[in-house]
Amino acid sequence: MFHLIKRDVILQKKQLLIFIPFILFFIFMDVHPVLTFLVASVFIPFNTYAYDEKAETNILLNSLPYTRKEIIASRYLGAIFYMSIAIVLTSAALFVFGKLFSLSDIAIGSGLFLLFAACTFPLFYILKPGYITTAVIIGFIVLSAMGPPVVLYLAEQFSGITDFIMNLSIPIVYTGSTVLIMLIYLLSWGLSTAIYQRKVF
Amino acid sequence: MQITISNHSKEPIYEQITTQIKSLILTGELAEGAALPSIRKLAKDLQISVITTKRAYEELEKAGFIYSIVGKGSFVAEQNLEVMREKKLKVIEEQLGAVVTNGKELGLSFDELQQLLKFLYEE
Amino acid sequence: MEHVIEFKGVSKRFKDFSVQNLDLQVKKGFVTGFIGENGAGKSTTIKMIMNLLKPDSGEVKIFGLDYRTHEKEIKERIGFVYDANVFFPGLNLKDIKRIVAPAYKRWDDRLFYQYIEQFGLPLNKAIKTFSKGMQMKASLAIALSHHAELIIMDEPTAGLDPVFRRELLGTLQELMIDGNRTIFFSTHMTTDLDRIADYIAFIQNGRLVFQQSIHEVAENYALVKGSLDLLDRDTEKAFIHIQRTAAGFEALTDRIDEVKLIFGDAVVIEPASLEDIMFYLKGGVAHVSFN
Repeated sequence: MFHLIKRDVILQKKQLLIFIPFILFFIFMDVHPVLTFLVASVFIPFNTYAYDEKAETNILLNSLPYTRKEIIASRYLGAIFYMSIAIVLTSAALFVFGKLFSLSDIAIGSGLFLLFAACTFPLFYILKPGYITTAVIIGFIVLSAMGPPVVLYLAEQFSGITDFIMNLSIPIVYTGSTVLIMLIYLLSWGLSTAIYQRKVF
Repeated sequence: MQITISNHSKEPIYEQITTQIKSLILTGELAEGAALPSIRKLAKDLQISVITTKRAYEELEKAGFIYSIVGKGSFVAEQNLEVMREKKLKVIEEQLGAVVTNGKELGLSFDELQQLLKFLYEE
Repeated sequence: MEHVIEFKGVSKRFKDFSVQNLDLQVKKGFVTGFIGENGAGKSTTIKMIMNLLKPDSGEVKIFGLDYRTHEKEIKERIGFVYDANVFFPGLNLKDIKRIVAPAYKRWDDRLFYQYIEQFGLPLNKAIKTFSKGMQMKASLAIALSHHAELIIMDEPTAGLDPVFRRELLGTLQELMIDGNRTIFFSTHMTTDLDRIADYIAFIQNGRLVFQQSIHEVAENYALVKGSLDLLDRDTEKAFIHIQRTAAGFEALTDRIDEVKLIFGDAVVIEPASLEDIMFYLKGGVAHVSFN
């Protein structure tokens, strides 16, 4: 299964060259570090889907001695793995260019990434190939455009909860969100596995 | 062991093989106890299906010309090849006898019979 | 284990097509040709063999094992060659090997490079630049490099020139020297099978019409030709399907002895090729008049 994760590197050899300039672009645009971390994390795992979109890839993977469970597991574990690497590289880049960032930036960036991944990965297995890239792009745009306003709106409506959260100490907020996000990620993993088991190629 | 098959003959390929191996054995070119190529090697050399050589060997074994040992291969049977040859010669003698009788009844001369035999032999 | 592939009562239904009650048995150590016209159910069957599709009902056993419990073990022992390239088109053979090889416990680099050289394939050019024939050879090289016991080929010679097809069949014949290997070869080029197949499975409209050794096929089916006046309501019954023209009739029979009895020397009886069998079992062509 680790070989399945490794295949992304082999597949995207050329794209990886773009990775560093890509990140540097965001750094020089003085974009908020959270967004930089988010974008860096998204790069590899979501690019793989461009390959997995094709019917032939699924036929190949399922003809090789891998179970469907393993194939999905490699996606979810791979995403975490590549996210970690991306964060390390991005942090190094930010440091080298004297840009400030904090641990909470990393935490928020990775948290958002995992959330985004958890929401979109199952879609990749439900939607027909060809629609996936479109779905990701639309999803991303929708999330960034509508996300903040929606959260603000909800915060106002449910001020009771908001006050409660605000009054919690920072560590608890962070632990709570981490647990929540991990749960969502695991749920997504389970959902994707269930969908993929039933798929017909 | 040289075998030549024709893809366009009326005779099924496995029969062609059986016939050729039989005569190789009867004429002594394939000695008793000699090992035959494996059915798979023969199939590959003749460019035919394995099941065809398998059938040919099976027919030969049934007729007692060869025997097979699993894991070792097939060999020419050591047995009454002389007797078999004698028997066949006897049958040929009888058949020729009948030909001669029928020929005489029709008034055919020896030369005419010989021509007929030559014609059939070269077919 | 005598049968490498065993289907028992396998059925699968799609929107406008279904495969019904397949009882397929592929014998170990032989080449089984799988014929049928396009849309007959060949690809569906192959997908069920590879567990890309699960049947609605019935049982699929490969090497006597069940996919539900032994998926990886089964796939370790299968080499596959599909009719379209399934390997990442942008990658070259070296990189594809880097992705595929670790998946197999019994991958053999030495074998792989041997086949690459034998087939004359470049290691550093992207697969999408390969011709169809080269792509097929590449798939075959990969399929043969992990000591697979079962080789599944789905229309491997479609679109390939005759010379290449011969070479491919030669390679396959070489493979069959090992009595542990089994080849399952789906095709609608029946002439390919004449050279190499031991058994034939014929599928039509989702049903297995027959699966027999080539000898049984030759002994059971024959082409009969004669003049039209020989046919009447009774004698017609000996035939599966009859083609009539102004010059006479041509028909397929699976009752050769009966035909000989009824017609004797009045007809010409010839061995039927697989193509003839497919054609007549389909129902031939609508009546053509030459008047």
